[in-house]
Amino acid sequence: MSIHDFIKKVKNNEIDIVEHTQKVIEECKEINTEYNYFNTISEELALQQANNIQKLIKNKDKPLKNKKLLGVVISVKDGICVKDVESTAGSRILQGYKPLFDAFVIQRVKEEGGIIIGKTSQDEFGFGSFSVNIGVGYKVPKNPIDKERSCGGSSGGAAGISKKASFPHISLGESTGGSIAEPASFCDVFGLCPTYGRVSRYGLIDFGNSLDKIGPIGRTIEDVALLMDVIEGYGKNDSTSLNVKNEDYSKYLKKSIKEMKVGIIKEAFAEGVEPEVEKNVYNGIEELEEEGAKAEEISLELPIKYGLATYYMIGTSEASTNLAKYCGMRYGISEKLEGSFNEYFTRVRSKNLGDEAKRRIILGTFARMAGYRDAYYIKAMKVRTLMIQEYKKAFKKFDALVSPTVPILPPKFSEIEKLTPLQNYMMDVMLVGPNVAGLPHLNVPVGYEKNLPVGMLLIADHLQEGKLIQLGSAVEKGK
Amino acid sequence: MKHFTSNIVIGLEIHTELDTNTKLFCSCPTKGNEEPNTRTCPTCLGMPGSKPVLNKKAVEFALKLCLALNCEISPELIFSRKSYFYPDMSKNYQISQYDIPLGKNGSLRLRDGKEIGIIRVHLEEDPASLIHPAGLKESQYVLVDYNRSGNPLVEIVTEPDLTSPDEARDFMKQLITVLNYLEIFDINEGIIKADANVSIKESDYARVEIKNITGFKEIEKALVYEVNRQKEDTKLHKKIEQETRAWDSEKGVTFTLRKKETEEDYGYIIDTDLTIVEITDKWVKEIKKEMPELAQDKVKKFVEKHKIKKEDAEILAAEKELAEMFEKVAEEINPVLAAKWLRRELVRVLNYNKKELREVEIDEKHMIDLLKLVENKNITDNVASKILEKLIEKPFNVNEYVKKEKLEAVSDTSELEKYCREAIEENPQAVEDYKKGEKRALNFIVGKVMAKTRGKATPKEVNEIILRLIK
Repeated sequence: MSIHDFIKKVKNNEIDIVEHTQKVIEECKEINTEYNYFNTISEELALQQANNIQKLIKNKDKPLKNKKLLGVVISVKDGICVKDVESTAGSRILQGYKPLFDAFVIQRVKEEGGIIIGKTSQDEFGFGSFSVNIGVGYKVPKNPIDKERSCGGSSGGAAGISKKASFPHISLGESTGGSIAEPASFCDVFGLCPTYGRVSRYGLIDFGNSLDKIGPIGRTIEDVALLMDVIEGYGKNDSTSLNVKNEDYSKYLKKSIKEMKVGIIKEAFAEGVEPEVEKNVYNGIEELEEEGAKAEEISLELPIKYGLATYYMIGTSEASTNLAKYCGMRYGISEKLEGSFNEYFTRVRSKNLGDEAKRRIILGTFARMAGYRDAYYIKAMKVRTLMIQEYKKAFKKFDALVSPTVPILPPKFSEIEKLTPLQNYMMDVMLVGPNVAGLPHLNVPVGYEKNLPVGMLLIADHLQEGKLIQLGSAVEKGK
Repeated sequence: MKHFTSNIVIGLEIHTELDTNTKLFCSCPTKGNEEPNTRTCPTCLGMPGSKPVLNKKAVEFALKLCLALNCEISPELIFSRKSYFYPDMSKNYQISQYDIPLGKNGSLRLRDGKEIGIIRVHLEEDPASLIHPAGLKESQYVLVDYNRSGNPLVEIVTEPDLTSPDEARDFMKQLITVLNYLEIFDINEGIIKADANVSIKESDYARVEIKNITGFKEIEKALVYEVNRQKEDTKLHKKIEQETRAWDSEKGVTFTLRKKETEEDYGYIIDTDLTIVEITDKWVKEIKKEMPELAQDKVKKFVEKHKIKKEDAEILAAEKELAEMFEKVAEEINPVLAAKWLRRELVRVLNYNKKELREVEIDEKHMIDLLKLVENKNITDNVASKILEKLIEKPFNVNEYVKKEKLEAVSDTSELEKYCREAIEENPQAVEDYKKGEKRALNFIVGKVMAKTRGKATPKEVNEIILRLIK
């Protein structure tokens, strides 16, 4: 049943929403024992919301008519704050932190009648591409198609549950350097990372403040467009939120893509891309052409060449300051009070942060140090500007750019263990460019190879999410 | 590196709170409930997920200060994160400014006209306050109160142009006057803190930094102590080391905090949670329009327009309310007389009552009424002073009061002569003493006459009459 049909039935009181939600909770619990998609299942909140909706439906409350998500279950990446529900960004250091407020996107979901089902698992604070860099004591989510493989990251739980759920459901993910599109690709679902600032970050637990974006992950392009319609918009509590007119994304669904121009990023099909991946992405491009789009090769040197370095300099610099506040003093985990404050902070952080979090704090702190700052952090900021300029030039000619989302098929956990940190970081090579430039991008599932999904990445100019939905919808239709 | 020539070299880094209603990055009130941790929200507590939103009023206040200190204004306001771990920091970084401060290359004149360079003026957030339950050194733990966390601060850094603790005090005084004129600082409750760099010629200007001196008066005390310490130590051939010291205000001494002066690395990066704010010429122009005339302009005006002494003008201008009252009074009363009465008598009576002008109800109307009577010699200075003392307590109609209490000066010489004769007759001993050459005995008789007239006569006139009568 499509979400559209589901909402209709809920409005017509054809579905007992409380009963439905209870069933969903049971299913989530069961899936979780095997797949670890949730850090927290917010049973109490979900049932309370379901009961409220039920009451309103019985009273034939008129405003319900326009609710865009009435009764639809929404899962939320752990790093997005939900009032009174433990929100840890997958880190033990934040265990017990129940925010006093809802993130902007959660306020919007609640206003539209969406039911918050729980907090999905992720790499600690978003630091990873396979959801294996989990916090101390957390569990690794598994690929819904093959349990021995990674579901990608860092929004791994979000993508996994989106594929696995049998019930109408959409997920809220977050991307700093590719954490929406990458797991979406590994889990065979759509993932849309919007323009930086398009969706308010208020209530998002920060990784890199100039990079973080909240966006939807869903089984269909329609689901993704629907949740995007709900969460977009200006929020006064986030200074970087864009005060621009809201879009109606759903109107781009099934809209003709005739005469649209797509640029195939030449450098993204070079060495290191698995042939199975390349083949399927080209199938996707063919589908776009069949629907009337024109595809042409374009060279984009900077993002592939310098994207990773730029991203890791800026991302770790910002992250190392963002993580400084976690010291066991005001919220989250605490330890026995002993020694000076320095000793206490050190003990809390040593014990409760994972290895990758520590690695990135060290990297970021190093890049910010006097004497290195100009060579690393400042240089990275300048390269970022150049990258944006290169993309902008390309968008004068093209409506969207295309590349594989990830260069490889979802790897086995046993293979991941053998990767060096640098090889790990290479997973994001296609994705760091649009993320650093704040450009909207979408993972579109394009096929299976060796029973594993392949995703195609579409990138559009700032605030052109509509074009991505238009193109993504065309590929979905062609399949 | 500057080439110093003076015996003492002092530079100040001053932190002062801006008197806005709400904090710099959230809408919590800056004042009100004193109960700890009541004026807080997720933002000023640094809760995960919270974000800062800039208070425009604080920027305007800081811009006013930059303009008053003749600074070049940056076209963009950029905030950076200054990272260090400390329990009073809600995020373990402070939102401050780094490369490009809001204002730079400014100046402020001392009383004697000497110009002190201002290197930079920037905007930042205040940390929380720490409470040591058993004193700074003995406490086993500290308590943190976040009510102050996120209050807007400006940091003002001077060139090392000050050459004595006295000049430093004068600088602070001039600065506080500016803050007061601009109405951007709460003179009663606002906090002013300073770090000072002090060096002397004898030690070849080895730079000693004194941290965290709170309060205007403490700054001079700490500097006097430190300069003397350095001088004494060099006399004893002790080497003055480059170091960081702290000021213990209770004991009145400075003590070593850290020896080796390594520049702390705060790992500054831009705070990308905040957007860069453009400071347009239009905005600056609007703020300029709102700017009041400042103390040093007023001194100039008082001297040139009202022809009063510079010394009087400076005292009047040092306090905004007094200066404004003087301007109004001087329209109706001879400015020289007005200046004398405001800067001497009014200030004396206020000081006696431990009050500031803004705290009492007396206004220019009362002063004009009173000084008109003085100017026309309707009452004596003595009576006027007494009326002023009463006015400070609670204002009333001066003219009616004088009439009711029959306080008009005794100008009728025959009446005055009558009082003098009585006094002479009643005090023969004093008259005799005076004649023997004891000059003070005359004052005694004059005093008796003044008492008879209830101060309504001028001592000078009484003096003359008595002398004439006893010759």
